[in-house]
Amino acid sequence: MNEDVVRLTGAGRSFGGTVALTGVDLTIRAGERVAVLGPSGAGKSTLLALLNGSLQPSEGSVRLFGVAPTELSTYSRRRLQRRVGTVSQGLDLIEQVRVLHNVNAGRLAEWGTTRSLVSLVWPRPDQRALVALETVGLGWAVHERTERLSGGERQRVAIARLLIQRPDLVLADEPVASLDPHRAAEVLGLLGRVTDSSGTVVVTLHQPRLARDHCTRAIGLREGRLVFDIPIPELAGDRLDELYAPG
Amino acid sequence: MTDLVDLDRPVPEPATGPDPTPDHTRAAGRVTGRQVALRRGVGALVVLLPVLWALQRAVPLGGDIVNRGGVPLIGALLGQASSPRLDGAFLQVVLDATITTLAFAALGTAGALVIGLLGGLVLSDVAWSRRPPRPLRLVRAALRAVLVAIRSIHELVWALLLVSVLGLDPLVAVLAIALPFGAQTAQVFGDTFDSLPTRALRSLRDAGAPAAPAVAFALLPPAGPLLLSYSFYRFECAVRSTVLLGAVGVGGLGQELVVSLSSRNWNEVWSLVAAVIVLSALVDVWSGRLRADMAVASCSEWSAGTSAQAADTGARGSRSRWARGSAIVLVPGIVLAWVASGVSLSGLTSDRTRMLASGLLDDLLPPALPRGGVGAVTTAVLDTVSMAVLAMAIAVLITVVVSPWAVAARRGVGPPGPLPWRAARWISWLVARIVLLVLRSVPPTVWAVIALLALFPGVLPGALALGVYTGGVLGRLVAESWESVSPAPREALVRTGVPGPVASLAAVVPASAQQLVTYTLYRFEICVRETAVVGIVGAAGLGRLLAENLNFFRFPVVMTLLIASFAVSIASEVISRRLRGAIRA
Repeated sequence: MNEDVVRLTGAGRSFGGTVALTGVDLTIRAGERVAVLGPSGAGKSTLLALLNGSLQPSEGSVRLFGVAPTELSTYSRRRLQRRVGTVSQGLDLIEQVRVLHNVNAGRLAEWGTTRSLVSLVWPRPDQRALVALETVGLGWAVHERTERLSGGERQRVAIARLLIQRPDLVLADEPVASLDPHRAAEVLGLLGRVTDSSGTVVVTLHQPRLARDHCTRAIGLREGRLVFDIPIPELAGDRLDELYAPG
Repeated sequence: MTDLVDLDRPVPEPATGPDPTPDHTRAAGRVTGRQVALRRGVGALVVLLPVLWALQRAVPLGGDIVNRGGVPLIGALLGQASSPRLDGAFLQVVLDATITTLAFAALGTAGALVIGLLGGLVLSDVAWSRRPPRPLRLVRAALRAVLVAIRSIHELVWALLLVSVLGLDPLVAVLAIALPFGAQTAQVFGDTFDSLPTRALRSLRDAGAPAAPAVAFALLPPAGPLLLSYSFYRFECAVRSTVLLGAVGVGGLGQELVVSLSSRNWNEVWSLVAAVIVLSALVDVWSGRLRADMAVASCSEWSAGTSAQAADTGARGSRSRWARGSAIVLVPGIVLAWVASGVSLSGLTSDRTRMLASGLLDDLLPPALPRGGVGAVTTAVLDTVSMAVLAMAIAVLITVVVSPWAVAARRGVGPPGPLPWRAARWISWLVARIVLLVLRSVPPTVWAVIALLALFPGVLPGALALGVYTGGVLGRLVAESWESVSPAPREALVRTGVPGPVASLAAVVPASAQQLVTYTLYRFEICVRETAVVGIVGAAGLGRLLAENLNFFRFPVVMTLLIASFAVSIASEVISRRLRGAIRA
């Protein structure tokens, strides 16, 4: 099934007088791996924020899985949000608690309120959580305090949380910005394994080479506008020169 | 579908032996689920057992605690709340007392700053260009010990001791503030200097500049905003302490309060309480504005001594209008305070003082035991500790109930709610802030006198009074620190469809609880010292024994009690520090 996961129609977002993103038409289908490229301040993070619903568009419309989140009741919107998983630049982990607690946070939406509360007081490492941590190479850290882990380890905790949430759409905002090339490839590989082949990944990147290795499609943003939207094989040097040209 | 992670596959056996992946270097530090459970169990016992013990000491089974005769007095006190005394003559008294209090606080703070600046420079490593010579290092170690001893004695106890030498001289109030505050300030300033970048100082010294000008040029300007911010935080504390000192009769609002309370002129009590609250609120707002403006450190950071890392943001201070204005009024303010309070240093050098001081020193040694021997001291120590523990429990209760409302709503996060909702939020914030302000502005001596109207002297009234007051302080510190808890993790959960309340419990509560525990332990140290205050007005513990023996000039006993207070204070500091270190692990 080739469902439209994301459909932006003339979507944009301004903050006060500043236009962060404007007139973006974009359709992403299930199973696509999309790299979002562009210089700093081009609107990449804003685009992801529109996709996960943390920002509302100030122009145009955003539809996820065929519906506009704003038109839904609270209950249905939560069910929709559960299908979207985000790794933000700040990771948004709860620093003071054990790693297990952060991994289980990926399931709070799925669990009822009662079960969530029990797990907060008495978190028990069940199999899914353990496998998720094992997969990201942190099987040893189940009961570590999150703030004591290194930056790279904390990032993998965030990915384990995504693994357990099992979203249909994965959004990652510069997940490899501070990693060496080997680690970067490893993290992108893990992100690709969060969903199956019918799931979708949208990731903002600065390195075109990583985009070629891990994605099927590239879109370029510059000054809040969509400047290209091409399959990965067409991602050539002149495109990038145009995208990152100064001034 | 082939590369999808299968979360339902069986868990692999935990790896033994060396780990294949490079990150596993900290294998030795691994934490197991059992260790976590054990830690929680021990943690619960560490909290629960002392509280139960203190409760059992405060409310012995079958003992009579409520003084039925005093209950009507409380009724009379509350009945007068709506009709405070507001005639011209009394308002003049209140105004004079307010000015006296402000003047004492300003002079005390100024003295503390002088001690702090000098002591801080001696204690800091930066101010010395190279490793100081051996005799100097010994002097420094001795100075450090003396400063610890000085600040382990509460300012009210200092005032009592000074009164017996200087008589009821205004200088008593100033010195009683300046000595313990100065010792604390020296420590903070020393740490502040050491946290500053040293390159500028080093290059000046390398260029051949003598020590004093080099320090003045390279160290003081970057430290300036921090020192100013801390000075005003200290002034804020000094105003409260000066009100407390009224209990020994050195003048100001505190003395008027004690006089009105003991002569049961309840309508005067209410006018004075209102004056104390207004004064305290004004100083709070001013010093809060200053700190916010300079963005160096919040009150909660200062009081927990975590401001050192804020040093690099100090540059903003030079641009702040509040900071500049405050710095300009500093010197004229102190001169005015000097004139208004009629303090003179001549009392220090008079023959009478010299005679009394040498007499006091002779009398203090050798220490002797009070009537009742070791048993009496032990009972007093246990009473002191249980009073502090129970007071902290009450303070935490107040904090948990009031502080969540006292956290300022964040601006610019998410869409603003409907107007009535925002208005209700704002009103609840204001009410919570005022409640905390009132609790901490009314001095604990007054709370204790009120508690002693209805309860028989003992641990319970002291703990209640101290707990209510500490609740006001702790609640404010914790609310301030909660404002800095990051909203991002909670928003991330809400974004994945977690209902708001569950997201708050999962993401905000752990961070908030950690702040609460840290500040509670830190306040506990201070609370142990402050039991002296409620003891002096007759509750229980070392403070009460101290006041009784001072009244009869039994100085050798006083010395014993001072040593005991010092020991308890140091012990609680060490325990609190260890616990604070342990919860971070």
